[in-house]
Amino acid sequence: MSLRTVAGAVFRREMQLFARRKSDWANPIVFFLIVCSLFPFAVGSESEKLKLIGIGVIFVGALLSAMLSLPRLFDDDARDGSLELMLASSEPLAVLILARITALSLGLGAALTIAAPVFALFYALPFAVAGMLALSVAMAVPTLLLIGAIAAALLVSARGGAILTAVLVLPLTIPTLIFGAGAALKVFYGEPPAAELALQGAFLLLALALCPLAAAAALKISTD
Amino acid sequence: MARTEQQSNDKFAGRWFWRYASPAAFYPLAGKIENVCWVLACLLTLVGLYVGFFVAPTDATQGEVYRVIFIHVPAAWMAMVIYLAMAFWAGTGLVLGTRLSFMMSHALAPTGAIMAVVALWTGALWGRPTWGTYWVWDARITSTLILFFLYVGYMALAAAFDDKKKGDRASALIALVGAINVPIIYFSVKWWTTLHQGSSVRPGSSSMATTMLWAMLIMTFAFWAYCVAAAMHRLRTQIIERESGSAWLREAVK
Repeated sequence: MSLRTVAGAVFRREMQLFARRKSDWANPIVFFLIVCSLFPFAVGSESEKLKLIGIGVIFVGALLSAMLSLPRLFDDDARDGSLELMLASSEPLAVLILARITALSLGLGAALTIAAPVFALFYALPFAVAGMLALSVAMAVPTLLLIGAIAAALLVSARGGAILTAVLVLPLTIPTLIFGAGAALKVFYGEPPAAELALQGAFLLLALALCPLAAAAALKISTD
Repeated sequence: MARTEQQSNDKFAGRWFWRYASPAAFYPLAGKIENVCWVLACLLTLVGLYVGFFVAPTDATQGEVYRVIFIHVPAAWMAMVIYLAMAFWAGTGLVLGTRLSFMMSHALAPTGAIMAVVALWTGALWGRPTWGTYWVWDARITSTLILFFLYVGYMALAAAFDDKKKGDRASALIALVGAINVPIIYFSVKWWTTLHQGSSVRPGSSSMATTMLWAMLIMTFAFWAYCVAAAMHRLRTQIIERESGSAWLREAVK
């Protein structure tokens, strides 16, 4: 079997699982919706106030709900033994991990990307800002999943779970948060967002190059 | 003990320092380094604080309150330096598989985290009288805060494994990931603060009096000495914990 066949099989399996287990994408969306609807209760319902916090709340909400999906990258597979098979494969582990992350990014990323501009309506944000927010979220979710894959791989065999994932992953996503939300803010203030988008793209590419290798090393450590 | 030392000496003939990769060989040396550094730390702190508090002149714009700089700045430097040292030993451990490297890395982490907290805390106390607020989302403050998060993540991960060896390698990996991210985070945050708010007046941008500089230099060495001493102490404790079954240790602590 060539690498392409194996990686393709991993990718297809992941996509099928994602399509069949509806809770995998429905729960993150519902969580995202709830987070976005909590803030107006805390801040007040005046639309002027909400406009100012809207971009940040939606962006952070998308990152949090992507983060909560991280355990499903490896945990179920570790339980049913398919992770062992993946580790035993003669193909490079990093590529197989990349195939899984790609599948999750496409599935979950698409769901969150569609949801983000809709939730922007809660905060009375203009359509142009909502559109830019969707683009930013579409780039940020794969970045977070790539970085998070390292933590998820390490935590397969550790205690601590969700909180520890958050402690490890969230600080590392701050650059993406700054420039992702920054791009939408630029549009909000009527300025061109090209620089922020370029930097966000750069982070995504850097994560794409390095994170699968680190996640492969992490998986080998934790399943040793 | 004698036998293993002999073996390693033969194997790495002429490279005496490899010997100290063995906990048995390093344990007594760590004790000596620790003692020297405690003495140095106490003396330098006394001299540094004396020069800082009594000899250095009162600042023209800030008055007496600027004197917190003699603790604030060395602590902030140490927080950064220790992270690099920690990542260095973590990387060494991953590459060479030396267990003392991981222990060194674990020994450094709490001191680094404490330094980050000291820097933030003294910064807040300094900010209140000079900037009128305890906290500003300034690039350096924010990146020190994130550095603190990275320390906490490292320590939490190391503690999350029942298998210590696994915890060693897992936390080492996350230390390296953090080390790659530190510059990215720093420049992102810097760009973010210059985008969203005017850069604040930086203390120390004016030229400093020579005595102030001396006090700061002495305090920096005092902090170095303290950090080395604390790390060595923690390292020795770790060695005792982990090697508790071995004969050389029973011999050494008798």
